Amino acid sequence: MSLLGPIPLTIFLYIAIGASVLAVGAYIIKMRRRRFEVPFSHLWKRVLEQKDANALWKQLKRFLSLLLILVILGIVLFAALDPTLGAIDRKARSVVILLDASASMKAMDGDEAGKESRLEAAKARAKGLINSMGGGDIAMIMKVDGQATPMSRFTSDGPMLNKIIDGLEASDTPADLTRALGAAADALRDRKNPLIVLISDGAYPELQLGLVSWEKGAPTQLAPRKDPSKDKSKDKGKDPSPADWNTKNLASVDLSNVDVRYLPVGRRSENVGIVAFNVRRYIANKASYEVYIEVQNFGTEPANRQLALYNGDTAVDINKIQLAPGQRIKKIYTKLPGNAENRLRASLRPGEGAGASDAFALDDQAFALLPARKKQKVLLVTTDNLFLEGALLVYDNIDERKIVPAEYERNPAIADGFDVVIFDDYTPKVLPPPPASLLLFHPTGPDSPIALRGELANPHITVIDEGHPVMRWVTMSDVYMDRSGVFAPDPKKGESVLAFAVRDPIIVAKRDGKRKILAFGFSLPSLGRDSATDLPLRVAFPMLLVNTLDWFAGDQTDLLTTYPTGVRERIPLDGVVGATEAEVKGPDGTLTHTPVIEGLATFYGARVGYYEVAAKAPNGRVMAQIELAANLASPGESDIAPSAELVLGGKKLAEPEAFAITRSRKLWTYLVLLAMALIMMEWVTYHRRITV
Amino acid sequence: MSRAAAAAARTVAPKGNRAADRSELFDEKFLKTLEHLHMVSRKVFAGNIRAERRTRKVGSGIEFADHRTYARGDDFRYIDWNLYGRLDKLLLRLFEEEEDLHIYILVDVSDSMSIGNPLPKLHYAMQVGAALTYVGLANLDRVAIIPFGDRIMDRLPPSRGKNRIFRVFQFLRSCELGGKTELAECMKDFVAQNKRRGLAVVISDFYDPKGFEQGINTLRYNKFEPFVLQVYDKREADPPLHGDLTLVDCETGDTREVTVSRSLLESYKRAHEAYCKELEAYCTKYAMPFFRTHTGIPFDELVLKIFRSGGFLR
Repeated sequence: MSLLGPIPLTIFLYIAIGASVLAVGAYIIKMRRRRFEVPFSHLWKRVLEQKDANALWKQLKRFLSLLLILVILGIVLFAALDPTLGAIDRKARSVVILLDASASMKAMDGDEAGKESRLEAAKARAKGLINSMGGGDIAMIMKVDGQATPMSRFTSDGPMLNKIIDGLEASDTPADLTRALGAAADALRDRKNPLIVLISDGAYPELQLGLVSWEKGAPTQLAPRKDPSKDKSKDKGKDPSPADWNTKNLASVDLSNVDVRYLPVGRRSENVGIVAFNVRRYIANKASYEVYIEVQNFGTEPANRQLALYNGDTAVDINKIQLAPGQRIKKIYTKLPGNAENRLRASLRPGEGAGASDAFALDDQAFALLPARKKQKVLLVTTDNLFLEGALLVYDNIDERKIVPAEYERNPAIADGFDVVIFDDYTPKVLPPPPASLLLFHPTGPDSPIALRGELANPHITVIDEGHPVMRWVTMSDVYMDRSGVFAPDPKKGESVLAFAVRDPIIVAKRDGKRKILAFGFSLPSLGRDSATDLPLRVAFPMLLVNTLDWFAGDQTDLLTTYPTGVRERIPLDGVVGATEAEVKGPDGTLTHTPVIEGLATFYGARVGYYEVAAKAPNGRVMAQIELAANLASPGESDIAPSAELVLGGKKLAEPEAFAITRSRKLWTYLVLLAMALIMMEWVTYHRRITV
Repeated sequence: MSRAAAAAARTVAPKGNRAADRSELFDEKFLKTLEHLHMVSRKVFAGNIRAERRTRKVGSGIEFADHRTYARGDDFRYIDWNLYGRLDKLLLRLFEEEEDLHIYILVDVSDSMSIGNPLPKLHYAMQVGAALTYVGLANLDRVAIIPFGDRIMDRLPPSRGKNRIFRVFQFLRSCELGGKTELAECMKDFVAQNKRRGLAVVISDFYDPKGFEQGINTLRYNKFEPFVLQVYDKREADPPLHGDLTLVDCETGDTREVTVSRSLLESYKRAHEAYCKELEAYCTKYAMPFFRTHTGIPFDELVLKIFRSGGFLR
């Protein structure tokens, strides 16, 4: 006999003790009795005295009643453990059915007619497997896509498992076989006759197929690759892909003593898919953008397709492409003019004649987003400064207004409603209220928003913070200036130094909640001004201004808004302070929540399409919002050619044999019936006053 | 609990005396019933309905009773001179003295008598007592009514004549009720207060924890003629109880927790029957008239039964 109940024995023991104490307590507690008035209790006394001669028997009867209740309790608790007779059959197996629900399982080649998807065929095979299970066999269903999701516990309840299988849907992510095998091996640990049945099209990268060890402690079949975490130059802030992660850190999946079988599904390999699609604005000219598309023919026959690029509903370009078997073409669309739309879509349509067949539709469309641009209202407080005004002309996404310092001093409220206020060689007594960002050149005195600690003559900028968005692509090593104020930044107030003259901070940035402040210790040259610097004459100056305004607006030129599905990414949300959670609206309108840590939201795209990630304040106000696009963008997944055979860790997987039929009998039904019979007996004996 | 038991439980509400309301006890219909009883008693016992009763006292009556030897100081007028002539002995003639019979109606008004459904035992006892009083008054006997519980509550002095019946009603309506049953103490007080011997009709349930013997014996030893009338409620003999209960004694307030099973109920019924039989056997042993009735029997039927059996009317 085995106990298949979901309750651990220790917890069960506690429950049993608790229930017994309650039952005994219920017997000890005196029942509230009805009061009944009698004319002559002397007679009752006389009768009861005679009865008391039988007190021992009376007590015994009461004890028997308690014993009966404890027996009933014991039977019910025992039934909760799901005792099963005959389950200790040596041939009975513990099976994990890994059902591939990755994107490639959406390919419509589950049957000859092409009316059934691979997933439907896989479901049918899984059900066939479950229906052939013997009485002692127990199985668990695990969904395999970008994640490994157990859909049931180990059970022999065939109808329940079939129902779970019916409810499975394929996602738009590549499969992570290594993770699924690891999870299945963990679930099967210490179970007798462990068996993993993988029902799939076998479309997995070689890397994943090699990360398996059939013997305990044996090395993996693949040599370890370069650790991607050491390569900091790219993908900074991004989580490594599951495959990279496994290569880097995990030992191979230990499948020693585990029997792994493979059930293939799928018939065709004809597929042409978009394997890469992205878009970016030009750094110099943000009004225009360029698009990158890669298309590959995964079939064995030449293919012809019509590739269309849309901006919103407007077709940007449509052309016919011919692809030889296995050919991959790259297309770059340059200097495309921007418009109000920021949603781009690439689409593949079958061409005419032969080579138009395509079994996998998911990769025939791809989505991308142009990073949003925000038009800023800028107030320039200056006496005429040609250098500054001229440099601002390169930034076309601002509405600028200029006033003289005296005008601002008369009416500081004039700055209300502006996104950015630039103070040129003037330190206001009253600062514009947040969230207006401030750019100050040569602030002086105690009114400076960033404290000053002195002045420096002929400073040379020696160190700049290249990691800060304002200093990106800017060189200031040989800039001349005759003098500069020296700041005393306080990191506790969110102040950071962007440029040092040896050890003296002369350019400082401050993040004050939603407001951002940038202060230059030196002044720009202007008519009637005795300061001297050659910064305005350098290429770095307009770049510095553009970077500053972009930083104020929250724009990040290198921000990617298009990601592959099935990969966990960390997305920066500008200006998010205090939020720990963001709301994600998926392509189908479903709302989910994702954690936000240090202004970075975790994003996992399970479906292709457009997503909206919004961080909200406790009062419901949107603090920051970003649109993202997710594409399959996985050549491995688009290569839908099914594998009739699968070699895992150098071992060819066989198809599962029929399960051995064993007899077993569930006891809980009988136990519950017995408990009910005893309860009935107790009820009758109580009301017939036999046990009281 | 059955519906009947629930009704019974409500019937014996612990607070207040349910029998206290006696305003409807002696109505016109009751009076007519009494008159009918009186008529029946005359018809059935014709020739024996003289108002005068012979007592065992020997005195100045007209009916010869016995002879005895003359003693100094005896009245010469009663010497039987004929016997002296024949036997040469002085013998005195004795006659049965005739006098009014005193009837004492002793009604138990203790708390246990207030129980009963639909009629409290007390009301039934008062109706029977009133009926016997009426017949007694009509026969020109001297009838007194003494309600008792744990003491003699009150006393309606002996009176004669039918027209006194309304005073009897008034007395029974207004007399004090309640208390425990203390038969022995009450009878002791009764004999001390009433020197004239006579018929002592005791109407009670005789539910005295100290027993009924001593009380009745007190009457017997003091030359009263006890007439025992036990009243009970049917539900006392066969209580419709079931399950876990706290029994409360309506007189003492004592509580007792019991689980009433069928066997316990049977034992109780047997014990109740044995108690009643014990009382009956006691009365039979000492030649005392005894009647047992439950409140379901109409009171006039009981009274007729009493008449037919004799003992009350002679």
